[in-house]
Amino acid sequence: MKFEDAVKKSIKAFMNGKIPAATNELSEEGIFHTPAYFDELEEEMLSEDNDEEIVDEDV
Amino acid sequence: MKMFDFPIAGANYAADTRNYPWHRPPDIVSYDEGVDYLIRKMNEPEELELVYALLKIDTHVATVVSAILMQGISRGKFSIDLAILMAGPLARYIGIIADEQEIKYDMGLNEENRVVITPTSLKLALGIFDDDEEEDPDEIVEEAVTNSEGGLMATPTDAETASEEEQAAMLGLSTDEEEEEPVDGLA
Repeated sequence: MKFEDAVKKSIKAFMNGKIPAATNELSEEGIFHTPAYFDELEEEMLSEDNDEEIVDEDV
Repeated sequence: MKMFDFPIAGANYAADTRNYPWHRPPDIVSYDEGVDYLIRKMNEPEELELVYALLKIDTHVATVVSAILMQGISRGKFSIDLAILMAGPLARYIGIIADEQEIKYDMGLNEENRVVITPTSLKLALGIFDDDEEEDPDEIVEEAVTNSEGGLMATPTDAETASEEEQAAMLGLSTDEEEEEPVDGLA
């Protein structure tokens, strides 16, 4: 398997909500950058943009 | 002196291979630390410009992610294994910032949607239109056969072929030919 193929496989797994299980078990808290974290980040970043647009329109 | 200007035999066995960044222990070994590093790197203006430009020319996100990870590996920032684990979060983050900038992108994960590049598609993409392609190929072959002018090895036409009499005369087989009388009348 080429590096690019492994990268694609990894991306596909992450998009399907899978996380590296062994890495997750390394610490008690588990890993921080999970698919759920990125979902929240996306909401925050996109909502910030919408807020800015609304403020601009008001001005 | 030029005589000594070459490597000593066996020098490669004595070389320190730890000179390459990827031969030394990586700087980052933790998954979260690595993803943090990549996100911070992605927020640098130069890096952002490059990623936006690549996405705008329809480069797949997977390709961009591979390039960024390869760069980190070659600089000894993280190992190959960790890079593969971090590919997912990095691709997701690139997707988010692309959405924020309203840039359409393709993750490049589906082989079914892969566009096969053919000479015709390349010509169309580059705006090259060949008018000769529309001609009927049979007509072209006929023209090639009838226009047999030129060339030493070309098939001779009827006009070029000597008649049988001429050929016989050239070979000295002609009997009808009258011998010319010598002008000075010595014969």
